[in-house]
Amino acid sequence: MKNRPLARLAGLALVAVLACPLLAGAAAAESVDEILARNYETKGGLAKLQAVRSARMTGKMMMGQGLEAPFVLVWARPDKVRTEFTFQGMTGIQAYDGAVGWQVMPFLGKTEPETMGEEELKSVREMGEDALEGPLVGWREKGHTVELTGEEEVEGTPAWRLRVTKKNGDVSTVWLDKESALEFKAEGKRTVRGQEMEFETAIGDYKEVGGLLLAHSIESRPKGAPQGQVILLETIELDPEVPEATFSMPPPKPAAAAPAAGG
Amino acid sequence: MRATTSLPPLLLLSLLAVAPAGATEGPRVTSDTFGALAARALGPAVMSGRITALDAVPGDPLTLFVGSASGGVWRSTDGGVTFAPVFDEHPQSIGALRVDPSDPKTVWVGTGESCVRNSVSIGDGVYRSTDGGDSWTHLGLAGTERIAALAIDPKQRDTVYVCALGPLWNASEERGVYRTRDGGKSWEKVLHLDADTGCSDLAIDPQEPRILYAGMWTHRRSPDFFRSGGKGSGLYRSADGGTTWERVSTGLPAGELGRIAVAVAPSRPSVVYAVVEAKKTALYRSDDTGRTWSEGSSGFNVQARPFYFAHLFVDPRDHDTVYKPGLTLSVSTDGGRSMSGGIGFGASYHSDVHALWIDPRDPKTIWMGTDGGLYVSRDRAFHWAFLPGLPISQFYHVSFDMAVPYNVYGGLQDNSSWTGPSQSAGGVENRDWENIGTGDGFWAYADPTDSDFAYSMYQGGEVLRVHRPTGEVKEIKPFAASGEEELRFNWNAPLVLSPNDPGTLYLGAQVLFRSRDRGDSWQRISPDLTTDDPARQRQRESGGLTIDNSTAENNTTIYTVAESPRDRDVLWVGTDDGNVQVSRDGGGSWTNVAAGIPGWRAGTWVSRIEASPHDAATAFVTLDDHRRGDMRPHLARTADFGATWVSLVTPEIEGYCWVVRQDPVNPDLLFLGTELGLYVSIDGGGAWARFKGNLPRVAVHDLAIHPREHDLVIATHGRGIYILDDLTPLRALTAETLARDAALLPSRPGRQTVLASVGSWFSGDAEFVGRNLPEAAPIVYWLKKRHLFGDLKVEVLDTEGRVISTIPGSKRVGLNRVEWPMRMDPPKFPPSTQLTFAFTGPRLPEGEYAIRLVRGKEVLESTVALVADPRNPHSTADRKAKSEAELALYHRLADLTHLVESALALRDGARTRAAALPAGDRLGRRLRGLAEQAESLRTALVATSEAGWISGEERLKEKLGNLYGAINRFEGRPTTSQLARMETLLAELTGAEQRFRGLAEGDLAAANAELVRRRLEPLALPTREEREPGGTGPVAAGSLSPRDAKRLAARFPALAAPLFGLRTSL
Repeated sequence: MKNRPLARLAGLALVAVLACPLLAGAAAAESVDEILARNYETKGGLAKLQAVRSARMTGKMMMGQGLEAPFVLVWARPDKVRTEFTFQGMTGIQAYDGAVGWQVMPFLGKTEPETMGEEELKSVREMGEDALEGPLVGWREKGHTVELTGEEEVEGTPAWRLRVTKKNGDVSTVWLDKESALEFKAEGKRTVRGQEMEFETAIGDYKEVGGLLLAHSIESRPKGAPQGQVILLETIELDPEVPEATFSMPPPKPAAAAPAAGG
Repeated sequence: MRATTSLPPLLLLSLLAVAPAGATEGPRVTSDTFGALAARALGPAVMSGRITALDAVPGDPLTLFVGSASGGVWRSTDGGVTFAPVFDEHPQSIGALRVDPSDPKTVWVGTGESCVRNSVSIGDGVYRSTDGGDSWTHLGLAGTERIAALAIDPKQRDTVYVCALGPLWNASEERGVYRTRDGGKSWEKVLHLDADTGCSDLAIDPQEPRILYAGMWTHRRSPDFFRSGGKGSGLYRSADGGTTWERVSTGLPAGELGRIAVAVAPSRPSVVYAVVEAKKTALYRSDDTGRTWSEGSSGFNVQARPFYFAHLFVDPRDHDTVYKPGLTLSVSTDGGRSMSGGIGFGASYHSDVHALWIDPRDPKTIWMGTDGGLYVSRDRAFHWAFLPGLPISQFYHVSFDMAVPYNVYGGLQDNSSWTGPSQSAGGVENRDWENIGTGDGFWAYADPTDSDFAYSMYQGGEVLRVHRPTGEVKEIKPFAASGEEELRFNWNAPLVLSPNDPGTLYLGAQVLFRSRDRGDSWQRISPDLTTDDPARQRQRESGGLTIDNSTAENNTTIYTVAESPRDRDVLWVGTDDGNVQVSRDGGGSWTNVAAGIPGWRAGTWVSRIEASPHDAATAFVTLDDHRRGDMRPHLARTADFGATWVSLVTPEIEGYCWVVRQDPVNPDLLFLGTELGLYVSIDGGGAWARFKGNLPRVAVHDLAIHPREHDLVIATHGRGIYILDDLTPLRALTAETLARDAALLPSRPGRQTVLASVGSWFSGDAEFVGRNLPEAAPIVYWLKKRHLFGDLKVEVLDTEGRVISTIPGSKRVGLNRVEWPMRMDPPKFPPSTQLTFAFTGPRLPEGEYAIRLVRGKEVLESTVALVADPRNPHSTADRKAKSEAELALYHRLADLTHLVESALALRDGARTRAAALPAGDRLGRRLRGLAEQAESLRTALVATSEAGWISGEERLKEKLGNLYGAINRFEGRPTTSQLARMETLLAELTGAEQRFRGLAEGDLAAANAELVRRRLEPLALPTREEREPGGTGPVAAGSLSPRDAKRLAARFPALAAPLFGLRTSL
């Protein structure tokens, strides 16, 4: 029971292997819907994915040179999110409550929460929408467009190439492994202040959580950069109780008279 | 001339017959085999390279496209501050580039440069992007080899004209003017004269686009000659959208013509200008849409090198202002009658101007492409700013020295010879490069006997010995003695250092010279080793209508020389006219062994001979006959001093060959540089695959393997130097590995590099910076399939078998490489309001470490070694003293963290319990007192001021952390002051711990007894084990010095800026 998605996947892989010689000569006949149906199926089923109301993910964020920060992400449908990472005992927070994006970045001395600028807001909003299921799940309802733009080997893996145009106009390319129909790589552009910023993402370490197959490793980097940051998730809790206040920007602290520290 | 694609059946048979052993069953190397292995671009962009095409989006001053001679297409979307290559998987030679004026996301590229100098690369037709350059579709005309211009009909955007110069080195019907009316789906050749005459320039009337002008040019290059001009050359005009053409001659010079450039004045299209190469080359102007012409300026730049300076640009607002790129940029403001800016010695920009883009909205702004990169002027071409972000440098050769880190040396097309470091603090910047030559640069070396000296050369065998501290140059080339034939040196004459005898040099003319005294004297050690065919010694007459004898057509010369690393008496020489000569007695006698080489025919250019580092009888040879129209690869091996040869060519190899290298460790590992990329074989040449890891499809002219670092240094002719760091895993890759699902491969020891804390500063984004190698031990493994399910990680273990580092694994098919930082985890810090500038853990001791590749349930084991930086100047005793102090502080910082966390737990626990008691309860008072004591202890230990960034507050944690950081960053003995301070601070910490223990055992114990008595939960402090690992509590304000904040932000942008695109799904 517990291993159902993986078992299903093994079955699919077997079918794919057996079917291969038969299909080799035929042109690809899959449509976006067929491919995504397999994607949802592999992940545990569309209904089950969409039934998840909230999630708490914990792990670490790895920034290269041995720098690691404990990392927590809390998410609630439809688009609320809060992430925290801790470094030298200080915790940075970025959050979105469905209306307001805010952050606390204490590392250079500012402990007061502040509302986000456009660039950060766009990023955190996207995280709110996509943290658990990504843009491919329920894309029509979300107002996105998904097109199949080709089949190719990417980094040695036979893949479907999907072009995802989000409701906000941002375009990304997502590659799905042809054997499992799971996404493993994405590249895209995010328009910020009228300028395009390019990024690339590698997705992996899929593991079963509560009957769903979820990625546990996400590496993102500006396109072409030698190194990005990796988020490795250790646990994903589905449907935890999450107080509403988790996502809301705290009110400013009362003006406490901080003792002057000299110098 | 021979067609490039037909292979004589006999030759085909012989290729099949000698197919080497690698062609057996089993897994074969492919480009995916190399997986995530990536070459590192070193640049430089200090000299940049030739730019042949420019276009931009009118009205969008930020978007600019740059087409380069052999470095692809680059796009800027920020007005030229930064550039990114967008054409890496296609031929890198760009002839023409046009942004569709009616849709700026549509960009057309014609590949194959038309500035047809001797070293020019090749293209394969037309490409179009409809997404602003992100992706490209090949639209045909693959056989045109080079495209001089493109014109898009401004009224019907699917109608596009292609001005195809066509193949340079052979006759071909695939040249002339082509037209598409369906956006490139189909093409018609609408103007074709003969197999020797191509289109050299094309202009369209912007108001009446049915009127077109085409310069047609008869020309040909061969290895020893260039001819511009012939019966086909002429200016043609169409008035019906290219369907019919007529040659216009009224007012143009009579007699044979050469290359023609033509441009329409956008602001008054009845005005048309043309530069017509003739006996007297001049600028011509028409005022009646090209029907009749009158002669204008014949100034220096109008006449200079018509084959090379072949473009003309009219100011978009003023029909009387015309720019003529040449040796410099000339301009006429009187409608072409006169030109200023003619000879321009002392110009601040690189000579040899090709491309120009004048902003139609602001014609004072001009972008200019030269042989040495891109410039912009904002004042109508009076002053120029160099754009330092285009590493399109065209290296001919590369070598290295043995410094740590090592430096590379090489010469470049029209850009001298340079040396620069393989890594440098903050990355390899333009200022890290040192010019060690002049003219066109070729071979360059460090003097292995004296690092103050370097050798470089310029065209035609001019060899220089350079004293680097002073820049003084000794010209050391040999001369013919009295009565001897004049020496013939190739444009790119071989200068080679003996691999056996430092101080011994070889230099090839038509005879081979050897010097035993660093070039102060030379001995001839051969007769004329070329064919000495007088029919191939025509350079003095070379050029056609305009004589052009630059040494570029020197022929019947020695082109490649090799001394066997196994036997100093075995010498190999290859010539540009088909000879492969071998001597087994140090030059006493020579045998020509060329005729047996597969693919050889009389006169074939021998581009490289590699004497095997493993066996004196073995050599590899590449032949390059592209200068006679044969674009195929030719590569062969002999194992018997050239008596017999076997072809190593497979269908995977694309492009004519420049260089082959055999790995000095694994004889089966071969590297091949062709016009279209780098190829690797792991089975002695049986199978080849293109290496694509961050390396574009660029011409690879030279390769060198560093014997100490095991790096492959790659000289590209168009994208600068690349380094593929550490060949160790490739050396270990075998067919057997490829058959396995996963395998750990060996890599070179991780070097604990002494880190530069000083060096780079704020230089903005405009400059290209070559990437450094990360300070980490590489760990490499093979995956047959992409890893998707479950964990993939690398663990490093200490001698007791404890996991000390876990590194997330890369998951690609093929070789994956992760970096292990070779240190303990960063130090622990308690929550405070200040970041401390101490981000790295102590170094781990040198030695061997066990590693594990965990892949789902499977575990593979191997080892990785750590070694010291050979530059580390500190004695063992001093390093030990550093390590002891560092470790003591490191562990005590962890103790401090525990102490502060305990104090916080006590404070908060006591407050919570007090709050639950009725007001006035004695226990409540006691608990509040306890909380106050805990808080007062804590505020003495960590900064708590919320005054902000520069509060300057320092408590024990900040003092200890800063001291740790300073000791951590220095590899030797700490100062006496530091050690004394350590004593003081650690004593303070011990005191605080005692005070806390007193509190715990006294007041806390008493309060707990009371709590228990009242059946309330006692206050339990978390143990260290319970607390670690994990997060360390809530947020507080920070304080960091501005300097440290800048360093921090530069190093770890994620901390200073919000998370970059953090996402857990797509």
